[in-house]
Amino acid sequence: MTSTAQDLHPAPTLAPGRTILELNGLEKRYPGTHALKPVHLAFKAGEIHAIVGENGAGKSTLIKLLTGVMPRTSGEVIWEGKPAALATPHEAMALGINAVHQEVVLCRHLTVAANMFLGEEESRFGLLQQRAMVKEAQKIIDGLGFDLPAHVVLGDLTIGQQQLIAAARATVRGTKFLIFDEPTAYLTRKEADQLFKLIRRLKGDGVTIIYISHRMEEVFELADRVSVLRDGTLVGTRDIAETDEPELVKLMINRSIEQIYHKEHFTPGARIVETKNLSGKGFENVSVTVRAGEIVGLYGLIGAGRSEFVTTLYGRHRKSAGQILWEGKEVQVNSEHDAIRLGMALAPESRRDQGLCLNLPVGINLNLPIYKRISSNFLISGAKEKTEADRQIADLRIKTPTRNALASSLSGGNQQKIVIGKWLAHGAKLFIFDEPTVGVDVGTKAEIYRLFSTLLSKGAGIILISSYLPEVYELADTLHVFRRGKLVATHGFRTASHEDILGQALAEKQEKSGGQK
Amino acid sequence: MSTEAIPAEKPKRNFNALFGLTLLGLLVLMWIVLAVATPSFATALNITNLLRQGSLIAILAVGQTFVIITGGIDLSVGAIVGFTTVIVALLINAGWPIWVAVLVTLLVGVAIGLFHGFGIVKMGLPPFIITLATMTSLRGIGLLMTNGNSISINSDSFQAFSRGSLAGIPYLFWMVILVAVPSYIFLHHTRWGRYLFSVGSNAEAARLSGVNVPRTIYMAYVLSGLLAAFVGVLLASRIGIGNPTQGDTYELQAIASSVIGGTSLFGAIGSVHGPLIGSFILSTINNGANLLNVNTFWQRVITGALIIVIVYFDGLRRRGK
Repeated sequence: MTSTAQDLHPAPTLAPGRTILELNGLEKRYPGTHALKPVHLAFKAGEIHAIVGENGAGKSTLIKLLTGVMPRTSGEVIWEGKPAALATPHEAMALGINAVHQEVVLCRHLTVAANMFLGEEESRFGLLQQRAMVKEAQKIIDGLGFDLPAHVVLGDLTIGQQQLIAAARATVRGTKFLIFDEPTAYLTRKEADQLFKLIRRLKGDGVTIIYISHRMEEVFELADRVSVLRDGTLVGTRDIAETDEPELVKLMINRSIEQIYHKEHFTPGARIVETKNLSGKGFENVSVTVRAGEIVGLYGLIGAGRSEFVTTLYGRHRKSAGQILWEGKEVQVNSEHDAIRLGMALAPESRRDQGLCLNLPVGINLNLPIYKRISSNFLISGAKEKTEADRQIADLRIKTPTRNALASSLSGGNQQKIVIGKWLAHGAKLFIFDEPTVGVDVGTKAEIYRLFSTLLSKGAGIILISSYLPEVYELADTLHVFRRGKLVATHGFRTASHEDILGQALAEKQEKSGGQK
Repeated sequence: MSTEAIPAEKPKRNFNALFGLTLLGLLVLMWIVLAVATPSFATALNITNLLRQGSLIAILAVGQTFVIITGGIDLSVGAIVGFTTVIVALLINAGWPIWVAVLVTLLVGVAIGLFHGFGIVKMGLPPFIITLATMTSLRGIGLLMTNGNSISINSDSFQAFSRGSLAGIPYLFWMVILVAVPSYIFLHHTRWGRYLFSVGSNAEAARLSGVNVPRTIYMAYVLSGLLAAFVGVLLASRIGIGNPTQGDTYELQAIASSVIGGTSLFGAIGSVHGPLIGSFILSTINNGANLLNVNTFWQRVITGALIIVIVYFDGLRRRGK
């Protein structure tokens, strides 16, 4: 099958405003979690329907069910008046349901054109018509108003540009129903504008759009209607003209800010760690002090240098200049090993990739940093191993049948508790949390924040990295703002407004975006 | 689209334990069938022979399992066996005391393991590649050293070892126990054993938890090299010669034994007893097929088919988790 420019304008079979897709009690259960409680919702042909909700509210589950990535547990999906099984991604695509994911799921080593036609290559006598495909792809990209070459290797483009290609790809396949999952997370403002133009154009062509985003301003800019998910439940659908941001936020979290962000203030004690003009790969000239009993927040966009700064502090990367003082004395931190010996602990950003041994039991994960301590001579003390693990499970209220259950069988929130919890037994003094609540539900969030207080009360200090402003804003005693590898501003607890901080984190990006290709 | 009940934890666990038992059960069942079906299986001569045959691969499989648990693979063990038969033969023929010759040979195995660790940790080579390279080169070096000839070992006492037995059990099988018991303790009751698992499960998480990942990798390959050299010594004793082409396809048999014994090639899953049982299942197949007068060509086919069947069921078990 070959794609032509005609596919750019898919002909919807339904008049705008009619129901194209109806969810009838759609439900998904995983072992141990009820990810999506029965949802009843009807999407109208040609609308832009925003879906908002916190991490873990069930948005990604909903997408996975609609795109056939996962089977539903129960319920019905009615597509253009007929029940659809949506058992495989192939079936969803054949119906005209497509998705653009937050992370680009394309082949980075192939060219843009090859990606656009992946699975539907043009060939003659069994040979690929490469030149024709590049030409075709270029026509489509130009037609969408993207200034991108079709013959280059996808991986050579920025993430934002790749995202645009992913969107372009989704539009050429007779798509009638297109889901965008936080498409702007990695985009510059200019790229986001291009994307919005594309989305409006698709709407004009009669394509139904689901737009998932954390960014309220985008929802109000684009959407016709908005649905709110909370803890796996659809809690409301509103016309965009009849609602406002406070109402949506209230629907999303259903509790006041104070209830979630449990903040106790402690009198700061001695300095635990201090960096003086520390520079390294991805950041320069950063001076930060953490004292006992305080939370130091690092806020900025992804790639602003916060993670690079802490991984250098933690000995992962070599510093290029500057000093690290630990309890007043200058130290060299050349490896994670050094950092751990000093008393640092890092709960990394990507818990599945960096924080957990998923196919090992919970108990081993919890004890991993302290096996030296619970071994005598050569042998591990079985009794100590058992009591340490059980104590952690009880202290942290980790929901697991036993310490022998595999870490992979736990929910995201409980996995996160393991990542944090294993350092408690270790007795670290400085805790570095890199995006600790991504993918964690509200209840667990509150528990993690309470855990922070416990740590502080025991005389520890915390560095908290977050891209979610309210989190650092409500918790950090000192808030540093990063932008492009530099520390650009420092605030006390709630001393600056959200707008100011956001402005400081974004400023340069907005100025620059005009000149980006 | 019906609502599936979430399966309870209990039955799965039983199923798991069952699998461990099934392997041993399979082995015992094969023995019983062979004992009934052939007059010569259940004889002292055949049993000691079977134990001797299986011992070498069993020891290799244990070393291989350490490596596989870290998510790696050691293709060189067969070549190390061949190479070290040459080393130990040369040293003994040069008049070195046997215990010194054996010790030095074992150190050669350690050195090869260190080289593998170096290639993986420092040069960033995939384990498959570095051990594939050694697998080829070692045989070449051995052939260069011997000019392609076998070296007869002129020490009767060295050769007598492989024929001897204690309490009716061949020395060679005692060597399996000598290796298996410390290996079991090492893997399941020391922190280094835990570190092997953690590196195989998620090296990054292990590193961030303070585990010395490079050292753990070195350790796995050194143990595999050491045990391979040990097998080389035992083989030299058994056949009385040093020959670099000996131990052909031993690495594949060791990997097969390990995988039949429940080791996951993706790392982080494995035991010591599993590969031991696995290796004796393989030897029993060969032994039994010989006694039943099965065509040796068919033996290979059956062995291959059995590997697929056992590992397939193992995969089912793990997916069920």
